[in-house]
Amino acid sequence: MTLAIQLPQTGLRRYGSLLSPMAWGALAVAAAVVLLSLFAPVLAPYDPDYVDLNNVLAGPSGQHLLGTDALGRDLLSRLMHGGRTSLLGPTIVVIGSTVLGLLLGLVAGWSEGWLGKVLGRVFDLLFAFPALLMAMLAIALFGKGLFAPILAMTIAYVPYVARLAQSLVVAERSRPYVQAYRVLGFRTPWVVLGRVLPNLIPTVGAQSTLNFGYVLADLAALSFIGLGVQPPTSDWGAMIEESRGALLGGYILPAFWPALVVVMVVVAVNVIGEELSDRIGGKLS
Amino acid sequence: MSQLLQIENFTLGFPGRPPLLDSVSLQVDDGEAVALVGESGSGKSLTTRAALGLFPGGSEFSGTVSVQGLDTLTAGKQRLMELRRGHASMIFQDPRAGINPVRTVGDFLTETLVRFDGLTRSEATERAVKQLEQVGLRRAKELMDQHPHQLSGGMLQRVMIAAALLNSPDLLLCDEPTTALDVTTQAGIVRLLREEQQSRGMGMLFITHDLNLAASLCERVYVLRRGEVVEHGPTRTVFLTPQQDYTRQLVEATPVIEVGGLGAPVAAGSPLLQVSGLTKTYQLPRGDVITALDDAGFSLPEGGSLGVVGESGSGKSTLARLVVALETATSGELTLRGVPRPHRPLRASERKVLAKEVQIVFQDPYLSLDPRIPVGNAVADVFRLHQKQGRKEAKDSARDLLARVGIGPERFDARPRALSGGQRQRVALAKALAARPRLLVLDEATSALDVSVQAQVLDLVEELRDQFGLTILFVTHDLAVVSRICSELIVMHQGRIVEQGPTARILEDPGDDYTRNLIASRPRPLWDAEPVTA
Amino acid sequence: MTATEQVQATVMPGGPTHKRAKRPAVGPAVYIVKKLLALALTLFVASLAVFFSRFLVPGDPARFLLRGRSPKPEALEEITRQFGLDKPAWEQYLNWLGGILHGDWGRSLTYRQDVSDVLLGRLPTTLQLVALAAVFITILGLFAGIVASLNKGFGDRFILITLTAAGAVPPFVAAIALVALFSVGLGWFPSFGSGDGGLDRIWHLTLPALALGITYIAMVARVTRSSMNEQLLREHVEVATSRGLTRGSVVARHVLRNALGPILTVSGVLVAGLLVSSAIIERTFGLSGIGQLLVQSIDRLDFAVVQAIVMVVVAAFVVVNTVVDLVQPLIDPRIAAGTESR
Repeated sequence: MTLAIQLPQTGLRRYGSLLSPMAWGALAVAAAVVLLSLFAPVLAPYDPDYVDLNNVLAGPSGQHLLGTDALGRDLLSRLMHGGRTSLLGPTIVVIGSTVLGLLLGLVAGWSEGWLGKVLGRVFDLLFAFPALLMAMLAIALFGKGLFAPILAMTIAYVPYVARLAQSLVVAERSRPYVQAYRVLGFRTPWVVLGRVLPNLIPTVGAQSTLNFGYVLADLAALSFIGLGVQPPTSDWGAMIEESRGALLGGYILPAFWPALVVVMVVVAVNVIGEELSDRIGGKLS
Repeated sequence: MSQLLQIENFTLGFPGRPPLLDSVSLQVDDGEAVALVGESGSGKSLTTRAALGLFPGGSEFSGTVSVQGLDTLTAGKQRLMELRRGHASMIFQDPRAGINPVRTVGDFLTETLVRFDGLTRSEATERAVKQLEQVGLRRAKELMDQHPHQLSGGMLQRVMIAAALLNSPDLLLCDEPTTALDVTTQAGIVRLLREEQQSRGMGMLFITHDLNLAASLCERVYVLRRGEVVEHGPTRTVFLTPQQDYTRQLVEATPVIEVGGLGAPVAAGSPLLQVSGLTKTYQLPRGDVITALDDAGFSLPEGGSLGVVGESGSGKSTLARLVVALETATSGELTLRGVPRPHRPLRASERKVLAKEVQIVFQDPYLSLDPRIPVGNAVADVFRLHQKQGRKEAKDSARDLLARVGIGPERFDARPRALSGGQRQRVALAKALAARPRLLVLDEATSALDVSVQAQVLDLVEELRDQFGLTILFVTHDLAVVSRICSELIVMHQGRIVEQGPTARILEDPGDDYTRNLIASRPRPLWDAEPVTA
Repeated sequence: MTATEQVQATVMPGGPTHKRAKRPAVGPAVYIVKKLLALALTLFVASLAVFFSRFLVPGDPARFLLRGRSPKPEALEEITRQFGLDKPAWEQYLNWLGGILHGDWGRSLTYRQDVSDVLLGRLPTTLQLVALAAVFITILGLFAGIVASLNKGFGDRFILITLTAAGAVPPFVAAIALVALFSVGLGWFPSFGSGDGGLDRIWHLTLPALALGITYIAMVARVTRSSMNEQLLREHVEVATSRGLTRGSVVARHVLRNALGPILTVSGVLVAGLLVSSAIIERTFGLSGIGQLLVQSIDRLDFAVVQAIVMVVVAAFVVVNTVVDLVQPLIDPRIAAGTESR
């Protein structure tokens, strides 16, 4: 055994120790954004679609904490309401792709014969279709809006989860503890679902957390180029698109706030995901 | 100058933690072979690396480590590199990991010569080829263009030794250089090291966990325990009349072949396990066929104990896996208590029945328990499955059984990672025994443990065998371990059984060349060995 | 022994490993042919998926293809003839595939031109954009990754945090931010158009390429860093150090060289990602490349063009991946020998 590998083990990384300060911060940001969006109808100070042409492109003030856009709509209210749409899509995609991916990954990993190989090939093929491309193809087929891209991205993210799950299952399957279960006479479904699956969940969870950030960014990008949510519904991507005219005129804030929120949420999600995978890495070594 | 390596009051550790090395002092003179013996975590690797100025990042250290008068603790980068290039070399444990897999053997050997000694590529190649030939490698020219994965472990270790000798170092540091190798390969490497050390008059510091190996190679020995030197002196004195308790335990725990200790083979009861013509072949993706087990046949009576000894690739693990039905035989018969094994993967119901006949304990204590399941529950699960016990009853049974293998109730809810390697193997034993099997297969079950822990686990196995009336199939690479536990012995080589019979008979009078080689390859203390060459 | 090695060691239970070395090495020709066959097969299946995706839409295919346009009987007749909609599905596919192989990619309803002409006119801009982005990614990504890996402590921490932030900036947000800062604010770079070629072209493409590349710079830097960190822990690196090699030699010959594999592996994902994201960037910066064309064609319901562009991007991904697979054995000889698989 090499010296370098021995040393980290002497560091007593405590099993259930608290998150790093950075991860706590990320968690707080994510929680705040989710809560503000969830309770937007109650908490938002204004109707997000209320147009006030006497008060366009106003800076932050006591009345409009983050200012107003080119139509005089309250930016904070629009952000909060937009968050409902912006967060809903990634949530559906991540849950869908995680469940499907875990299922397919378990099957592909556990079956030693042709089924595992065929599924592996299918995952490889799906990787050739980047999520954003798949989403655009789906929009071309089924029309603009959220339905088509969410469906397409759910499928596009399945291989990310499934491949990971498959490789983990293959590794677990050959480990002595799983073989011991077989020799002890435990039934395969019990071993796979009751013992192996829970051991995969932290790693797969870390991957899915990271996926959330990518999906959020991609869906916002689709809205930004006018292929995603359609007016009057709005999300953060659409808000940035609406503000481009003001931006070129020198009014930065209407585009800045939604951009900031998108980046903050993605950073937060990435930090949490990496913290998760770091801890798993630490546990395994 | 007689003092080649002089370590004095060397202390090393990480800030805020107890030191890993505590006031270690040792000394190697010119032309002297010195062993540094210790179990895992004793700090022997750290000590040796310090001689080359290699310290773990972020560590703090004090004392002196001087090689030919150069203190590596304070020396500048340039001086250290000169020391490493010209005066002191190190041979590492695992040559497979130690030689860059993506570069050629030739590149590995010549890189320092070309870059720092100003040799041309052809001069360097010529010198490297000569060195390879000297360490006993044939077709050295061809080897230069090959990559490490094309060589066997023993060949690679010779390459590593050749690289270490290229610059005619005065000090040779060896970090468990034979631990990753088979016994017969180890014997060749040890002979080579001894020869080179003697003929070149090098000083050598040899790290090992194996007292026998230390005795076969070195005149003096230091015994290291948890970062402290507990005893040192001439190897023979330390070995035969140890002064410290720890050393005494270590010497006693070190497995030696003892023929007398075994009881007579059990009078042949009814055969529990009968095997004939058992063969297992693997089809590789490329179409090659590997015969892992070739026409094996033997019989194991109820209550007997059979040792299966062989080196890597001998097919011994395949045999073990076939017995517990983790593999399906390609051909041949395997009968367990009169029930012939079908030639197909077992159905779930068949597996459950089989589980009460035979259980297995694997080698690696770190991977053989489910990392997420508290050890008590892991054992209780087996009671619930096989003894039809309720949740509470199963927990009580598990607690009793764990106590019998030496795991107290305070560890009932502990996860495997909170246990030591020896404790984990105890839990693995308890898990297997909870199914109340008649036959217990031990697949290198003690090989990953430190010798003192191994001795304890072996004691436990003997105790449990008597208590539960178990029949034992012990698969191992270590003749000494087998000689302690098993009255019958099978020797395997390249998939075939080359010899079988009573352990005592085989050890005293081996009938096969390979067996003789295996026995002769075990390290022998210098004072026992016949005079090598005058 | 690392975790992965243990996994590999346990994959073949009981398999005598020492016998593997004695197997005759498979010639490089077999390896190349295998990879090329896999390439052809993947492209074939991908083309099936792209073509038959249209059949997922319920209803009359002619009306689907003519969405947003007047469904006059003559138009319906023309579209039926052009796409061969009256023929069986497999025949339609074979005609389409045969057309693609002969350079006939169908006709664009919007431009009333052959799709191939429309595509070829737009391709150079996109390729230039992607190439410039790739240059930024390679230089900045590798540099940041190497520096982070070799400077433990503050330097690593700082770069890692920067990378986490940069990696979280979606291309369209980066585009807006760069425009706000460098075009509107400082006026250094133009915010629109692709310039007149030569240096002017590069000047126009700098902001778009940066916006396009920023997430991928972070990605490459992260992969480089972790791949190098993994190698730095390997025993062969310690052996090299113990033999008196300089730090520079150790890093260049034994760390970076061995770390290249995983870095190359991401380049397939990277190229496909750049092509797709160029849709957003080209639209933001008013560049007329195939990305912009893709968005417009979706907008104008010009399905033949969408299909063609999707196929181009997928093919680019598969081809780049195959090239990477073919290069990998040169970096790590164990891959061709089959003892190491990625």
